Amino acid sequence: MSRISFGYSVSEGKVINLDQQKPAWLEKIFELEPSLHRCISCGNCAAVCTAGHFTGMKFYRICLNAFRGQTSDLKNDAKACMLCGKCQFACPRGVNIRHAIMLMTQIQKP
Amino acid sequence: MQQPTVSIIGAGPAGLNAAISLAKMEIRVNLFEKQVKPGGQLSHWHTLFPDMYDAKTLLKSTINEISHPHIKLYTTVNIRQIKRQNNQWIISSDGNQEFISDAVIITSGFNLFDATKKEEYGYGIYPQVITSLELEQMFNGRREWPFSKDIEAPKAGFVHCVGSRDTKCGNNWCSKVCCVKAVKQAIEFKKQFPKAEVSCFYMDLRMFGKGYEELYMKAQVDFNIQFIRGRLSEASPSNGNKVHVKAEDTLMNRPLKQNLDMLVLMVGMTPAIWLNQHAERIDFEKPKFKQGFINPVENYQSTIYQNTPGVFAAGTCKGPASLIDVIQDAKATAFEVFAYLKKEKQNVEILEKTT
Repeated sequence: MSRISFGYSVSEGKVINLDQQKPAWLEKIFELEPSLHRCISCGNCAAVCTAGHFTGMKFYRICLNAFRGQTSDLKNDAKACMLCGKCQFACPRGVNIRHAIMLMTQIQKP
Repeated sequence: MQQPTVSIIGAGPAGLNAAISLAKMEIRVNLFEKQVKPGGQLSHWHTLFPDMYDAKTLLKSTINEISHPHIKLYTTVNIRQIKRQNNQWIISSDGNQEFISDAVIITSGFNLFDATKKEEYGYGIYPQVITSLELEQMFNGRREWPFSKDIEAPKAGFVHCVGSRDTKCGNNWCSKVCCVKAVKQAIEFKKQFPKAEVSCFYMDLRMFGKGYEELYMKAQVDFNIQFIRGRLSEASPSNGNKVHVKAEDTLMNRPLKQNLDMLVLMVGMTPAIWLNQHAERIDFEKPKFKQGFINPVENYQSTIYQNTPGVFAAGTCKGPASLIDVIQDAKATAFEVFAYLKKEKQNVEILEKTT
């Protein structure tokens, strides 16, 4: 006899828990590229992003995820970038985006 | 005609600066203060934004300047009413004292929002929840920290806009200065506890003044302060003398939670008095719900109160303002008063000649 399905499932919590310790490699990225801290999520980087038009990648969202310690998709998100550098021309706060992306794509999780 | 006298109601930064400017222009000043000492809200502050200037030094130098032969300071005098009589104003206090003057400047300032009204933040219920004013007192050692001395890396949260931009509290206005003040306090906290983790919960960051935006950048880059866009829904008690906070991170589009050792409420500004205007007199009353700040006659002549000749208003009694703006406003008002008195004097002289 197969089990009866009632159509319910368990969904994962969506809550961001700021109590969680940030991984050391993430702190290292901020240390190597401190200009990341300047981001104010204005979205100018995403507005000019060609890669974003096709993949949905947005640098300011990657940045926000990093601030909040949400690291599961960080490397994959960063890989969508083709390093054209338009975002860096557009960024009003002078974030060294290409270097940050390069660092993120090279993450070696322990 | 004898030398004119001006009454200034409230000896905070606005009242003090207006008095000093008028005295410099050889006008006699009666300065009234309901508290024991002059200084107003400035006397509670430790350092000032955006340059971390020592508040005590500023207050001391201002108070030194009012020991001028033209300035008479009356402390613990609460003004209840002003009355128009023969081109002059009669100022009467709670103790039925009466003073006559040719012009009046209202510099009654502001009160801080009563944080107990926002019950969801738990002020007055959880000891970890404090106001921005109490934090200043912790900085200058007049109050104990709300967490144990053993904690090397305390976690602190700052809630912006408590009692500001909030129709439910009857306060629709933005208190203007809390944004930059929270940034200043967060930096100061990080300086005292370099290992601390600090989050600011904001709705908008309104960095309008000179040096504010630069301070905000400094907080992000040099002090690693986390800015989270979203208003706190509630604070509740948690394990180990902590307070648990919930908020919506509107940029992440996800709910967020955190345990904190200290939660600072950035309390906004509320009016200190309500002017009840009658034909020939103005009563000073306690403001009721939704009664806002004093309305000047029009925005472009903001120092004159309504259409009452000789009554002026300066400083935060007209609405939230930074200390720098208040000082400039007070000085500008002093000049307006001077011009008014000069014109009045000419009128009297013309009248005396013709009769």
